[in-house]
Amino acid sequence: MHDILDDYAHSNGLAWVNPRAKLLLGLGSILLCVSAPSPLVPALVALTMSLTIVGPARIPLRFYSRLLLIPLSFALLSSVVVIFLHGSGEALLSFEVLGRQATVNSEGANLGLLLMSRTFGGMCALFFVALTTPMVEIFSILKSLHLPQVLIELSMLIYRYIFVLLEEAMMIHTAQELRLGSSSLRGSLHSFSMLTSVLFLRAWERGEKLMVAMDSRCYDGRLDILEREAPRSPRVTVVVVIYLAALGAVALLCKDLTLI
Amino acid sequence: MHIMEGFLPHPWWEIWFAVSLPVVAYGVHRMTAVTRDRRETLPLLAVAGAFVFVLSSLKLPSVNGSCSHPTGTGMGAILFGPWITSVLASIVLVYQALFLAHGGLTTLGANVFSMGIAGPLVGYLIFKAASRSGANLYLSVFLAATLADWATYVVTALQLALAFPAATGGVLTSFKAFALVFAVTQVPLAIVEGVVTALMFKYILQLRSDVLVRLKVVSESTVRKLKEAAA
Repeated sequence: MHDILDDYAHSNGLAWVNPRAKLLLGLGSILLCVSAPSPLVPALVALTMSLTIVGPARIPLRFYSRLLLIPLSFALLSSVVVIFLHGSGEALLSFEVLGRQATVNSEGANLGLLLMSRTFGGMCALFFVALTTPMVEIFSILKSLHLPQVLIELSMLIYRYIFVLLEEAMMIHTAQELRLGSSSLRGSLHSFSMLTSVLFLRAWERGEKLMVAMDSRCYDGRLDILEREAPRSPRVTVVVVIYLAALGAVALLCKDLTLI
Repeated sequence: MHIMEGFLPHPWWEIWFAVSLPVVAYGVHRMTAVTRDRRETLPLLAVAGAFVFVLSSLKLPSVNGSCSHPTGTGMGAILFGPWITSVLASIVLVYQALFLAHGGLTTLGANVFSMGIAGPLVGYLIFKAASRSGANLYLSVFLAATLADWATYVVTALQLALAFPAATGGVLTSFKAFALVFAVTQVPLAIVEGVVTALMFKYILQLRSDVLVRLKVVSESTVRKLKEAAA
């Protein structure tokens, strides 16, 4: 089963910090990573974000390092394709595969490395937001941005029911495993479809009950959330802005840097 | 497979946002209208969205040892139609990025297009066409879910190919390579998703056929016919 990052968002060492500052830091770093011309800035982002995550935010190192493996398979597979197909420049490596000539040249290799570093840096920044900022605070930020009411409401209800249904799915899965539900391919297909259909029907019944519950509490088309007064923290915001500006400067100064 | 954070360069990630945004905005518009008319739809759509998220976090029974997750795009499109599915998929994709580290925020536009728009649209059209041609309900569901899942991956390969055309041969060569890595390997998993979705509809039909009738997926008469055939 998956680790849900949200568990840590409520209990980490930075949970009290102003959510807007954290969001600004995360999103700003992501944008810097994706527009970085050289692998240097993504590498710096990956380093600083990882240090913040295991340092002040106190996320266990073992948990965090397992998370970093998730983007790896996609990043490797796609980068390899890019490395072989892209660019010109001097050939670094050339060999024959299935009767075809495969060549890696410097431009392709550089682009592949840049993409891997961007993905890695971007994921670290995404992990930072996911691990330190509780969803409820993101909802109140979204509300203040005047997104459509129905969208925010739907997101909040989905968020609530994700955890209810995950637990249900886990229980059904355990029950099936105990009865050797996945001992053969046929059996596991059968079990899996049974799990999903039962889960769907239970979800549906919960939805019907939720309707009654909301009606009996005078639901009039809007859900209000209790917003915690976010601590004003000009210091944190200043630090974030300085950090992002410094990264931007590094990106501009070292834009011609390549590894190969 | 979701395109991970940071992988799509400028200007492609902005382009896919620009392509997806109007569709999702129209979906939100439709949804606002539906929830205004029938207030009870909002909680039901919410549990459906949560269901899609949970579905995509479960591992499919694997055929070739690799692990993959059902996309649920075909199922969503059959149940709710492509517009509302695009809104549900967008929310689910944000949660997948934040809670499961699948996908990303700058690549959200591209992922919404492949999983929330292209896949569901293909699934919906196939389901409608197959039902109209008088095909068996389960066969229609199987075809729609399989091809919706597969279309998602073909579109992902296309998105990557457009962003990274090959030096010799351009987008087409690049598409072939990405399709080989992502779309061809996905064929058995797409079939598994089709089988699972068809079986799922079978169980739902046996237990709560009224849900499917209410969503206008099947008509009363079809339900009666299928139940008689099963009995």
